[in-house]
Amino acid sequence: MSELDPRIHQVLDGELPLESLPPELQATVLRLERAAGLLRAAEAPAGVATRVLAALRRPPPGGSRRRRLLRWLTERHAVTIAMRPVWSLALAAVLAAVVLVPTHGTGPLLGAQEGIAQFVGHFPGARSVDVVGPFTDWRSGVIPLRDEDHDGVWSAVVVLPTGAHEYMFVVDGERWIADPLAGRYVSDGFGRQNALLIVRPVGR
Amino acid sequence: MLALLAVATPLGAQIDGGARARLAGRVPEAAIAAVDSLVRAAQADDLPTEPLVQKALEGAAKHAPPGRIVQAVAAHADQLRQARTLLERAGGPPPTAAEISSVAAAMVRGLPPPLAERIVTALPDEPPGPALHAVADLAGHGFAEDAAVDLIVASARVGLRGLRLLDVATAAVHELQRGATHGDALASVRRALPDVPSPPKPSPAQVNRARRPHPGV
Repeated sequence: MSELDPRIHQVLDGELPLESLPPELQATVLRLERAAGLLRAAEAPAGVATRVLAALRRPPPGGSRRRRLLRWLTERHAVTIAMRPVWSLALAAVLAAVVLVPTHGTGPLLGAQEGIAQFVGHFPGARSVDVVGPFTDWRSGVIPLRDEDHDGVWSAVVVLPTGAHEYMFVVDGERWIADPLAGRYVSDGFGRQNALLIVRPVGR
Repeated sequence: MLALLAVATPLGAQIDGGARARLAGRVPEAAIAAVDSLVRAAQADDLPTEPLVQKALEGAAKHAPPGRIVQAVAAHADQLRQARTLLERAGGPPPTAAEISSVAAAMVRGLPPPLAERIVTALPDEPPGPALHAVADLAGHGFAEDAAVDLIVASARVGLRGLRLLDVATAAVHELQRGATHGDALASVRRALPDVPSPPKPSPAQVNRARRPHPGV
C-alpha cells in the first residue's frame, strides 16, 4: 500500500483548501471522499455485543410460568461445563464401569443357607391367593401371590431358608388348599395335609 | 385332653415369655397356657421349641379348637423327643436343634422309627434330614421301604450327599413315570449312580423377582 501525500490528509482534515492541491491530488481527495460516502451509506452488521444488548433489553416474555418453562425447555441453549481433565477421566471410568461390568440384577442378596422357592397355583376366579407357612408365622398377607395377566395362574417367588417347609395356599382369605403340585405332603395334626417344600441353597 | 389342659395351666400361668407373647392375640386364650407349658417343658428338655410355637400358630390360623391345638402341639413335642432319641441312639455328638427338627419333620411324613433309625445309623456322617426325606419320597411313590433305604444308603456311599440324595429319589420316580416297574426303576437308578440329574437352578430373573417374607410386618 502506497503512502498518501500528507497534503491530502491536511485537506481531508480541513486544514487546507482543496484548491491548494495540484489537480492529480485533488482527484485523489475526491475519490477518497466518494468512497467514504459509500461506506457511510452501507448499514453496519450487528455485532455479537449488539445482539446481546438487544436481548437484554428485550421485555420479559409474557404468559404463565408453565408456558415460560415450556419455552425455556424447548429453546436451544448453549451449555458449557468447565471440568478438570482428571474429573473427566474419573467420570468416564464410572460410566464405563456402569455399562461394562456385569451385574446380577437388583434382587435380594442370598445367604449361604437361603434358597429360592417359587409358588404357583391355578385358581381361576380367585380374588386373592396367599402362601402361608412357618415362614409367615402362618399369617395371610405376608406373601401374596400375583396373577398379573388374569389367566388364573397365581405365583410368587420367595427367599426362604434352606430345608423343609410346610405350607398351604389361602384363597380369598378363607379357603385353605394344599398345593396340588407339591408332590410331598405331611399330616398337619388338624385333620388335613400340608404341602411340603424342600428349599435348596442357590448356586449348589 | 382336658386333663392335659388342667395339668398344663398352673405351670403356664406362672410363666411369661417369648412364646406366650407370640401366641397372645392369635392362639385362643384357652390354649395359650397349655401350649406355653409344653413349650417350656420342651425347652427344659433341650428340644427345639420353634416347631411347637409354629404348630400352635398353624392351628389357630386354621381355626382349630383350643383342645385340638394343644393336642397337636403335644404330639409334635413327642415327635421331637422321638427324633432326638433316635439320633442319640445312632451315636455321635449330641444332636443339634436343627437335626432334631429335620428328623422329626421327615418322620411326620410317615417313616416308621426303626426305618429312620436304620438310615441315620447307616449314614453317621450325613445330615439326616435329606436322606430321610429321600426315603420318604420313594415310600410315598410306592417303593418298598427297605429297597428305598438300600438305594439311598448306596447313593451316599458312592459320594452323593445332602440334598443330592433327593435327586436320587426324583430319578427313581421319573423312571416310574416313564413306565418302569418299581423294581426296574430302582435298578436303573442304581446302575447310573452317581450320575443322577440335578434340578435346574433358579434363573437370574427368578432370583431378582424373589421377595423376602417379613412375618412380623
